[in-house]
Amino acid sequence: MLQAINLTKQYVPGQPPSLDTLNLSVQPGEIYCLLGQNGAGKTTTINLFLGFLQPTSGQALINRLNVADHPQETKKFLAYLPETVMLYSNLTGTENLDFFSQLAGFRHTSDELHSLLSRAGLQTDAHNRRVGTYSKGMRQKVGIAIALAKQAKALLLDEPTSGLDPKASNEFSDILMGLAQGGTAILMATHDIFRAREVGTRIGIMRAGHLVESLEARDLTANELEAIYLQTV
Amino acid sequence: MIRLAFIQFIRSGGIRIGLVFLLAIGVTSLFVGKQFAQRQQQGIADVIQFQQTDFPRQAAQHRDDMGLLLYYLKFSVINEARPLTALAIGQRDVNGSVQSVTIRGLEGQKYDADLTNPANLLLGNVDFSFVLVYLFPLLIIAFTYSIISNEKENGTWSIVAVQSRHLLGFVGGLFLLRLAVVMAMLLLLIALAIALLDIPLDGSLRLFLGTSVGYILLWFSICFWVASLQRRSSTNAILLLGIWLGLLIVLPAGVNNYITVRYPVPEAQATTLAQRKGYHEKWDTDKTETVEKFYAHYPQFRQVPTAQMPTDWRWYYAMQQLGDDESAGQARELRQKLEQRERASRTIAQFIPSLHTQLQLGELARSGLGNQLRFMDYTGQFHEKMRLYFYPKIFTNAPVLTEKWTAFQVDTFTDEAPIHPLSTLGPLMLFIALVAGLGWFRFRQTIYHL
Repeated sequence: MLQAINLTKQYVPGQPPSLDTLNLSVQPGEIYCLLGQNGAGKTTTINLFLGFLQPTSGQALINRLNVADHPQETKKFLAYLPETVMLYSNLTGTENLDFFSQLAGFRHTSDELHSLLSRAGLQTDAHNRRVGTYSKGMRQKVGIAIALAKQAKALLLDEPTSGLDPKASNEFSDILMGLAQGGTAILMATHDIFRAREVGTRIGIMRAGHLVESLEARDLTANELEAIYLQTV
Repeated sequence: MIRLAFIQFIRSGGIRIGLVFLLAIGVTSLFVGKQFAQRQQQGIADVIQFQQTDFPRQAAQHRDDMGLLLYYLKFSVINEARPLTALAIGQRDVNGSVQSVTIRGLEGQKYDADLTNPANLLLGNVDFSFVLVYLFPLLIIAFTYSIISNEKENGTWSIVAVQSRHLLGFVGGLFLLRLAVVMAMLLLLIALAIALLDIPLDGSLRLFLGTSVGYILLWFSICFWVASLQRRSSTNAILLLGIWLGLLIVLPAGVNNYITVRYPVPEAQATTLAQRKGYHEKWDTDKTETVEKFYAHYPQFRQVPTAQMPTDWRWYYAMQQLGDDESAGQARELRQKLEQRERASRTIAQFIPSLHTQLQLGELARSGLGNQLRFMDYTGQFHEKMRLYFYPKIFTNAPVLTEKWTAFQVDTFTDEAPIHPLSTLGPLMLFIALVAGLGWFRFRQTIYHL
């Protein structure tokens, strides 16, 4: 579903590339977690899949379509949750969800909107408040609801649990595993080794633009993973 | 989605303030126009009234002397102001709408203008055309300068870009939404104007409205193009204000300067001098020579017998006539120069849409230089007609009281110069297509770039 073929991004000519000949693929039902320090190339990878960046060489494919050539078509298969979800502060939580769902071509009833927000963990009394009054975690939950509502085949997550409390993080993990069971391909950049081990089917460790390790999550304990991570970076 | 985008747009505090401000100043401009129209109507009513009472009074006073009577009588011509004129006052505040002429030398009387408060002239009129040409673009800029950049700066853009099925269509929708709000404002103001100023719903109004709509579309297409450059909001704002300054202040001032230098009118002074010299010199030259020259111009009066009069009016009016005749060359050149200025500014304006809009609105409201020139020509013909009618009566000293003086109505000039919709709207359409096309082309390449 998601595939990177020799994907390379060099921001400044002459400098070492931020992403160097990355090869990976995420099948439907898989959760691929990218670990790595800041600047390792995780966000660059995600932005290349989103088509926000043009690759210097190589290809990012979504459903076998090259993102650079088909920026519009590939969006149909994608949902995205950034590290900090920003929404229209003039609109309420439900209005934001309604707006972004309609952008994607979905019309939900009021009940459906509320149920999606609740499923994402947003407390009911906040649904009809303007987003300007929300905390980061609450916005993050609306972002999760937006991603859920699109029922996309592939989900790109860039440190999605930052700002979420442990309980919300845990609920989010459940949501992700539920989606994977339903056949969604998920690529998640994260710093949270514990959670990566828990939800991931595979775990990639990046350093300076290279994917240096790619491991099956079920073969590892969290401690082993941490040890490998620390050795690698 | 459009409903939510509209709510999102209208809930921003600045937007409502901007709309209220523009509505307030728009309504003010209509009252400025109303005041102008009332002043004009009052002036015209006064002139009509004055002519009706003054003619019989003067005739009674100078009942034995036709020549002396016509020395005093002023015949008025009105440059008809349309209700539309109140929306684009143009040069009508500088050039009087009533020209009152005696049958003496014309050139000396032609450029007598109304007394106007010079402070008003300096500021210009805050009429509807000012609001449309200068202020509407500012509101359009305020509404659209950050359409994409603001979403990028606030972080909403990445989710929008991923969620949207047709991102360029979505951006277009955001522009159309704001366009609809601005158009609603324009239509509201025009509707108020129609009610307040009794503007007839005719072709001129349709073209006036068409030009206004075209001008607003032009600014939207400029903003669309600037948005397609994908710069930051602050850069967009500076760029758009720069374009505003360029199109509305710098270029018009430059063109004005160029035209003044390219077509100087020393003839304006030369005409006055020649006319005065032509007339005053005749006091000291041989009377027969003066009268001969007069007969050379109007051989038909040679046969008219000259009656005994207290003053030799034939010679006096011949002097006046020669003032005009001897300055005719300069006057013609002056007329040509003004015509050239008018033509040049129209030609240049085809490439500067703001200037073009201003000129066309003036033309439609009959308040531009073109109208003034045609009115002057008409005044000249009117003056000539009066001369030809009265010369024989003066020379024969026809009895004053047999003339029915109240029958001399104030004449009205109705400007019927044709206005072609294509030449009015064409240049605007071309610019809109060009700029919006550039924006669309650029967006297709850059729309997904962060």
